[in-house]
Amino acid sequence: MLIDPRVLILLGANALLLHLCLMVNSSLAPFSLYFVLLGPMPVLPALYLNQRSFFLCTVLTGLWVDAALPTTFGLFTCTMLTLGTVIFGARIRFRAEQNYHPIVLAHAVNLGCLIMLIPFEGLQYLSSTAFWIQLLITCFASHAALLIIAPWFFNLERLLFQLCNTDQDPDELPLS
Amino acid sequence: MAKFRLDKFKPLVALGLFLVAWWIVPTLSKSFLPFLRVSFTEFQAPAWIVTSYLDDLEEFWARRSHSKIELIEAGQTLARQKAFYQLLDQRNNTLETEVMRLETILNMPSRREFRYEVARVIRRDLSAWWQQIVIRKGDDYGITEGAAVIFAGGVVGRVIEVNAFTSRVELITSPNFRMAASFEGDDRPVVFQGVPQSGFGAPTGAVRDAPQDLVANTHEPLQLISTRLGGTFPPGLIIGKVGWLEPGSSGIFQAGEVQLDERLLSLHEVSVLIPLTPLVYDRDVD
Repeated sequence: MLIDPRVLILLGANALLLHLCLMVNSSLAPFSLYFVLLGPMPVLPALYLNQRSFFLCTVLTGLWVDAALPTTFGLFTCTMLTLGTVIFGARIRFRAEQNYHPIVLAHAVNLGCLIMLIPFEGLQYLSSTAFWIQLLITCFASHAALLIIAPWFFNLERLLFQLCNTDQDPDELPLS
Repeated sequence: MAKFRLDKFKPLVALGLFLVAWWIVPTLSKSFLPFLRVSFTEFQAPAWIVTSYLDDLEEFWARRSHSKIELIEAGQTLARQKAFYQLLDQRNNTLETEVMRLETILNMPSRREFRYEVARVIRRDLSAWWQQIVIRKGDDYGITEGAAVIFAGGVVGRVIEVNAFTSRVELITSPNFRMAASFEGDDRPVVFQGVPQSGFGAPTGAVRDAPQDLVANTHEPLQLISTRLGGTFPPGLIIGKVGWLEPGSSGIFQAGEVQLDERLLSLHEVSVLIPLTPLVYDRDVD
């Protein structure tokens, strides 16, 4: 097959997560709460797919996120690809079939995305106390929500692999 | 000795090539990245529009569950309000005719006229980094970039991006938003600008370049309204209230905090003001 069908499954799951996240953010706007839940998106592509499929899935996910959010176009594409490549390079050390390692990685990637947002989108607000207060609230809220969202999301992705009768083991691992 | 594996560097090489390409492509073709962005945005727009219509449907079914008596009472209230607004409309027409007559006598320049396009808000992106909303009308309804957006409580913001079926609006709470304003009953222009929001309490903005003789206090706050200057907003729209003014950094003018309408954070419907005669820079600036 030209591309791994799991690319489409993971891409669809990422688009769903982003859509739900933005819907929740829209509803919570009067309470000034905002969730950044991008961390889980590049984790399973980096742990499960071969290099070409991982690259394709992560680039498309990044472009999807960049188009949906009012950020500098390419910010999340490049960030996710960079962090995903780091995970991909060390994926032999992580257990993809259980949730513990992916959740830790999701938190790390999410923190990376939040850190990247500060210089690229908030550089002119660095002197404002209000900005830092809201940033801290966003960080805490996002990572607290991620504790619930990430396991659900990874289980959903694995369930979709199962339902679509695709390969349920990571590609290109020396032990597989 | 273990064989040195070059294939483990393949992902890093691919990443490097991608980053270099991302950096070089805009210099070769300026329209490629905007085209890519618009393509992805338009591709996901239907999902947001469908979600918005589903919300409307949910509201419709929620209203259907009301009893007939409740609906009759609501209808009566609406009828009373309609009669009241019809009276106001008549009075408005009379005053408008009078204003036009006086303008003709005084040979005053014509004012900018706007068409009002009411649009549903389909998404709110209010965070530490951006303060924007997405509305369910775009190029299909003739929305233009830079058009003013208002609601029942006054100024909402300005359209910054127009797509085929949706538009993105920058709120007045955004630090990137700035407009000319004046205090009610005082024609001298001041500058209003959005500020980063802390997330606690009502949204705020900042006013600067206010004249020294103006005095504001929390018991009698000054009302900040839009002016004709800039050409985007019609005059007299409410921006917010200023509870205090203090000497600004220049020492010549005053500055202060503007309390904005709390409803800005939970908007459901807004009006886009589309100018009937768009500004032509070369013609209108002279």
